[in-house]
Amino acid sequence: MTLTRTDKAKYPFLTDAAEEVKREDLDIQSLDNPELESIINRAIERIEEALKTNPPQVTYREREEDTEIPSFPVAIILAAASGSNYIKRRYALAEARRAYELLREEKKEKFLEIAKAFNWRIKCPENTIGGRRFDFALSFPDYLRNARAFHESRFKLVNRPLLKGEVYLTKREAARLLREEIQRRIEERLNADVRSILPENLLSRIEKLKEKYATHAKEIVFEGFSKEMREEAFPPCIAQLLSAAKAGRHISHLGRFTLTSFLLNIGMKPSDVVDIFRSSSDFNERLTRYQVEHIAGSRGSGTKYIPPSCETLRTHGLCPGSYDSCKGIKHPLAGYRRRMRTFKKES
Amino acid sequence: MDRVSFIRSKFAEFYEENASEIKPPSSISQREFGFFTFKENIVIRHKGFATADALRSFIKQIVPSHAYYSAAYYEMPEEKMENKGWLGADLYFDIDADHIPTECGKIHDTWFCRDCGFQGKGVIPQECPSCSGKKFEEQKWPCEVCLESAKYEAIKLLDFLMEDFGFSPHEIEVSFSGHRGYHVHVESEEIRELDSVARKEIVDYITGVGLEPTYHGLQGSTYRSTVISGPNLDEVGWRGRIARGTHEFLQSASRDDLEDIDLSKKVIDEILSKRSKILMSWEKRGPWSLIKGVGIETWKKIIKRSIESQSARIDTVVTTDVHRLIRLPNTLHGKTGWLKISFPTDEIERFDPLSSAVAFKRGEVTVYVKRAPEFRIGEETFGPFENKKVELPMAAAMFLLCKDVAEVVD
Repeated sequence: MTLTRTDKAKYPFLTDAAEEVKREDLDIQSLDNPELESIINRAIERIEEALKTNPPQVTYREREEDTEIPSFPVAIILAAASGSNYIKRRYALAEARRAYELLREEKKEKFLEIAKAFNWRIKCPENTIGGRRFDFALSFPDYLRNARAFHESRFKLVNRPLLKGEVYLTKREAARLLREEIQRRIEERLNADVRSILPENLLSRIEKLKEKYATHAKEIVFEGFSKEMREEAFPPCIAQLLSAAKAGRHISHLGRFTLTSFLLNIGMKPSDVVDIFRSSSDFNERLTRYQVEHIAGSRGSGTKYIPPSCETLRTHGLCPGSYDSCKGIKHPLAGYRRRMRTFKKES
Repeated sequence: MDRVSFIRSKFAEFYEENASEIKPPSSISQREFGFFTFKENIVIRHKGFATADALRSFIKQIVPSHAYYSAAYYEMPEEKMENKGWLGADLYFDIDADHIPTECGKIHDTWFCRDCGFQGKGVIPQECPSCSGKKFEEQKWPCEVCLESAKYEAIKLLDFLMEDFGFSPHEIEVSFSGHRGYHVHVESEEIRELDSVARKEIVDYITGVGLEPTYHGLQGSTYRSTVISGPNLDEVGWRGRIARGTHEFLQSASRDDLEDIDLSKKVIDEILSKRSKILMSWEKRGPWSLIKGVGIETWKKIIKRSIESQSARIDTVVTTDVHRLIRLPNTLHGKTGWLKISFPTDEIERFDPLSSAVAFKRGEVTVYVKRAPEFRIGEETFGPFENKKVELPMAAAMFLLCKDVAEVVD
């Protein structure tokens, strides 16, 4: 693939970070070299943009390749050095969202090249489906790997045109899927342990950033369930959603609804439920609080919601499979109550 | 000789002669194997084999009533589940007459309540009519109607796998399960690492779960709920299936069928009186804007019925379970004495399980049959029997013995 300097500035994750640092003559040890200040400043700024915008997004500076390209690998090192899962996830999301905006405007040929850099099997189809022309046809395993976080009905495989193993997509849809792939790729890079090799003054800059956004970046504050609630009694679907929420992984809309309504129904306070979602990279306190309170029935129509049935959860891929302990259970709350009875008998 | 000892001795003879035919899965050393034994009736799990010969001699030695291998590949297949190290799994589909409403109504199946002993025929009820108990013993019978229905579902499944999912025939292995269903096994690098969430999406595609017709060409105006257009018969994927299913349904639906899907009397009269016009319309743009009073919501009801007929009824749990054990090809099924046997995908229409899966082809034996409906093995039909002593060819006798409806007469 031939990448122009503009391409590299737009999609800096396509090149190997270490190599990029080397090529730009950036030695990690000399990252405190004053000549490199503009690059370092931009790197810090990239991370700061991710922390202060909502939804998080890094900006793209046109015609500033000299800082746009090398500041990305430096920002990766700094974000990794922060040691904060919140900062890492939020930065990965912000960079992925930046790329998404740019990809949507890209020519099809360029889009193909970028997608193929992620080993996607993708092409521009010649044929039409139902008289309609699509921008891309993507192999279904690539599609499924990236669409898993989406639960809108239009992204369900059964609602897509699927022919000879390929899912037909518009450019916008393909860009949305590629955003997921990019986010994962960046998150993987952020797992490197780099703290020990960073010069002191850079570490202190990242520490300052951490302090500044500490209120946003509350690492898991959820302290546990009250005595009346037993986490061991949670059905597997809820346990899975809960651990995803605590780890800040993406949860679909229906997944959040299921978890929230379940916890409220077994007696958790709305403010405690809000805390559970705090680790999420796109956490928005005001919005989350509103949604949780709405589900609790203290807002809007006043209707108190209950979680969806097992049947619905199965349909939306939220049921992790048939566990023996779920035998004969049709609703997650029923599963919880049955397990609670067993616990009470035992104690 | 008692029934179980007799069956076991015949199975032992069979494996002594035919163990070399047992087809090991690819990457045998990464698979887990499991077996049921006759005598102790125990399960042997977490077995691993390095070679096909090791597997075959083990089977000869223990003479299992059922033999299975994992769809999954593991780093260490003999370890406990959590330490095995899952590497991936083939894609498996199980079609069993149990999950298909068949025309025979499963009238050949019998069950009795484990609490009060109440007996019945056909599909097991939700609860016992006599004592409301919920636990039943059942005796399933593979009748020709059941086998044909299962085959029809397998044919539809193959169409999904080849046309929609793009698998080639050499990546797909179809087998008769040895009882009353079919297994379809897809082995391909590109699906090996899909997790159960992704596999669930494949299942939903094939069963039509969550399908919204407006994504497949059904278009209408939201204001007057009039329909402008819909998919046509020769289209690909679900578009074509929706059109063909709708065509089939409207061609043959009786007043009762139309009432069943909750259409109003006015709409039913309109459909029935315009039947020939509706059929003709498929040559052009279809009947989508043809029937007075039928708007987008009514079409959705009709399409729901066509999705039911066009989807393939697979066991959804088998496909999404990435640790599943699958019956080993060319081994015997302990409940029938038949073989699980594979055949090329393009032979499915002609495939006759009751000839191809027969294992015991030599000798006769006299058995006392308690009760058995009529059944066929190869070209020959037997029964029905009731409390009768009869000399039967080995295959027929073994079938009744395995089904536990006969005893050997010394």
